[in-house]
Amino acid sequence: MHELSLIESMLSIIREEREKHCMKRILRVRVVNGALSGAVSDALSFGWECLTQEGDLQGVALDIVDAPLKVVCGSCGKPFTPEDAHYMPCPACGEILGHEIESGRELYIDEIEADIDDAESAAAAAPHTGD
Amino acid sequence: MGKTVTIVRNVMEANERRAAKLKEYFDQEKILCLNLMSSPGAGKTSLLERTLADLKGEFKMAVIEGDLQTDNDARRVAATGAQAVQVNTEGGCHLDGSMIEDAVAELDMQGLDILFIENVGNLVCPAEFNLGEDHKVSILSVAEGDDKPEKYPLMFHLSSVMLLNKTDLLPYVDFSLESASAHARKLNKDIEIFPVAARKGDGLDAWYDWLRKTRAAKK
Repeated sequence: MHELSLIESMLSIIREEREKHCMKRILRVRVVNGALSGAVSDALSFGWECLTQEGDLQGVALDIVDAPLKVVCGSCGKPFTPEDAHYMPCPACGEILGHEIESGRELYIDEIEADIDDAESAAAAAPHTGD
Repeated sequence: MGKTVTIVRNVMEANERRAAKLKEYFDQEKILCLNLMSSPGAGKTSLLERTLADLKGEFKMAVIEGDLQTDNDARRVAATGAQAVQVNTEGGCHLDGSMIEDAVAELDMQGLDILFIENVGNLVCPAEFNLGEDHKVSILSVAEGDDKPEKYPLMFHLSSVMLLNKTDLLPYVDFSLESASAHARKLNKDIEIFPVAARKGDGLDAWYDWLRKTRAAKK
């Protein structure tokens, strides 16, 4: 429901990274969205489309990688990937209660593909020679 | 073909930073902060009214009221004598850290024992945004159906307490306390569950004992 504000946060992170890495033009952004992040991938795509229709990030492609929920059985400790977040019998012992979530809550910007100004980037990275 | 730069930055990082600062402040001031979440109409405000009135002599308490519009809830809460500040999200589906920073600046935090944050009524989004609280508390009323913890796992997964409210309506609705509790424990085996009828005052002692115990742990 708040995917638009999530996209706004993403755009400000992307702008910071663009500065930091001297990116001339951003081509593609990859985001990882966990099954239990609360953000719906389709709504993220739609929000992205709306907020990048114009402006400095117009036309940048967004790839969303859906990351599965991974849990550790609350009874026998076996790690497994449940098919359904609502009913999660452990494949080893059948326990359905008390599993620990190992991953699946994440929502992060994984990588950015861009044309980079190599001269500028090298200058930014070079140590100051100092007079 | 461009170059690929690895970033790995949490989209929620700005809010997480604010939440961490708030948590640090609440810890330093030894204020117990609780984030109350539920769907609209589950009884957050009624529970607060009752709690504030019943524990008035024991604790100094304040409330941050989150709503899309109106200050009705802040007025209800203020009628108990507790400090209350209203945050209107103007359509926003949740409270975030910056709204809590602003609200805290408006409150007199001196000597406060417990700060309640009544989040916007919504079972989805508020769970995503940490507010620097010590605990999340979810309230589910029996009229909503016992499958809600199963349908909205994140909120119940993150909550330390689930209050099952309006138990006086149990004879009239199809709701099983056992089944709601079992669903909530699927992802959160340690969740404390208190069946209550906030308006009638039933079952509130267990909730008050939890508040006393948790408050004492914060000192």
